[in-house]
Amino acid sequence: MHGVRQRSTEGGRRGSRLAKLLKYAAVGKVTIRNHLAYVTDFFIRSIFLIIILYIFIQLWNTTFRGEGTELIAGYSFEQIIWYLIFAESFVIACPSLSTKIEEEVKSGDIGYKLARPVSYLWFHYAGYMSEVFIRMPINLAVGGMLGILVLGPPGFGWGWPGFLLVSVGAFTINFLLNMMLALCAFWVEETRGLEFVYHKFLFTVGGMLMPLELFPQVLQKVCAWLPFQAIVYFAARTAVSFDAEAMWRMLGTQAFWIAGLGAALMFIYRKGVSKLHVNGG
Amino acid sequence: MSTAVNVWRFVWTCWKLNLAGAMEFRLSFLLTAGMMFVNNTVWIFFWGIFFHRFPVINGWEVRDVMMMWAVSAGGVGLMNVLFGHANRLATLIATGQLDAYLVQPKPVLLHVLVSRMSVAAIGDCLFSLVLFIIFGDLTPDGMAKFVSALVIATLIFLFFTLIVHSLAFYIGNAEGLSFQFYNGLLAFSTYPTDIFHGWGRVMLFTVIPAGFISYLPIGLLREIQLSYLLAAIGAALALTAGGCCFFYRGLRRYSSGSMMAMRM
Repeated sequence: MHGVRQRSTEGGRRGSRLAKLLKYAAVGKVTIRNHLAYVTDFFIRSIFLIIILYIFIQLWNTTFRGEGTELIAGYSFEQIIWYLIFAESFVIACPSLSTKIEEEVKSGDIGYKLARPVSYLWFHYAGYMSEVFIRMPINLAVGGMLGILVLGPPGFGWGWPGFLLVSVGAFTINFLLNMMLALCAFWVEETRGLEFVYHKFLFTVGGMLMPLELFPQVLQKVCAWLPFQAIVYFAARTAVSFDAEAMWRMLGTQAFWIAGLGAALMFIYRKGVSKLHVNGG
Repeated sequence: MSTAVNVWRFVWTCWKLNLAGAMEFRLSFLLTAGMMFVNNTVWIFFWGIFFHRFPVINGWEVRDVMMMWAVSAGGVGLMNVLFGHANRLATLIATGQLDAYLVQPKPVLLHVLVSRMSVAAIGDCLFSLVLFIIFGDLTPDGMAKFVSALVIATLIFLFFTLIVHSLAFYIGNAEGLSFQFYNGLLAFSTYPTDIFHGWGRVMLFTVIPAGFISYLPIGLLREIQLSYLLAAIGAALALTAGGCCFFYRGLRRYSSGSMMAMRM
């Protein structure tokens, strides 16, 4: 009898977990449907991506010719350009969480969001991941077209699934860091400035503008201790220069940061919610 | 003569009031201008690392690139600080917000342009100044050259932006298009001209005249290359004249939005 009750409790727990998963999957599905309505808009916005990539192609072309070598810091010309295509597509795909949370706090919408029978953080995470995985393939398609036109089709092989796998961890870390800054809206009115500065870290020490191997040694060592490298650099490097062993190491580093930053985010969220006062309704 | 003095007094008053308005919210003012400064610093970081690894790129050294940034950031900064509405003109036209300017006894184009100041762009101007102090030639001759470069860059930025935004008179909603052209000019003017070859280079001196701006550190600041300098001045003047004509021609096609508005 006791065994039966235990089994039924376990079954209930599993059922409730599945129900939760389905709930967040539904949030993701709705976000995807919302963003699919604006695919043309995304393509138009990607024009700037083409301009930037064209400029970088010219810059690196001139650099490689000037150096007269096949490889720079272990990257060929093709690899550097594809690295930039992946990195730019990745960063441009990330929506501004600060804008969303700030609006929710200012409008008082947060009152309704917190009262819903879904976790506030998981709700935003599901929406965020769905959005980036709609936007990134579009950016990649636009940037990739230029890459194929200039360099021919790439032969990354396992780099593609590797990129996809590392991207999940990379977007998750980006979400955690971005959300920590966005939640500052519980204390201060404007958080977009913080997000702006965070993006600049991603551009520089995060390796969006160039692979970290090109940095001076001292700076490379500093970057290795920061979470920013686990975002853009890991994903883009895995795509253009796949190495299974290195990828597993990267996934391990990502897991470490996800655990640490996840705990920090929960702490900030609990502190913030206890401080929040929603007036009106 | 007295008309010119009156116009100058009017423009000066607009700039003073714009600045006073921006300074009303001191913290916001400092944060916004500071953020633009930080934004530009990212590119200095990028070029610093780049030139640490590759000291010379097609004859360009780190100092030239820094001065290119000083000229470009200064030019676009001055445009957005002194003529802040240039970058919003397409919206004003499309939404019928020019009515308020048309009924006032002031030159319409000048009035529209000077009636807004971008606070963020003050960060660009400060950034330009800091770069000039660090990397520029601080002799009177060097300063005169830098000011001339800023004037040329500002004119090209301003009147190119005016032309692409004035497209709204002809095609209606031109916000997206003008945004892309403006960003294109800005992006191309912050990379060394000599990395571009073939059609790309031709484009930089025709469709998107960013080449005239980005080459200023070499063709004017490092040493005066007369043919280039005359071409850059010619391009700036042609854009100024062309921009004004294009705007006033377009203005004839403007139809009022019958919008009630008050300017304070």
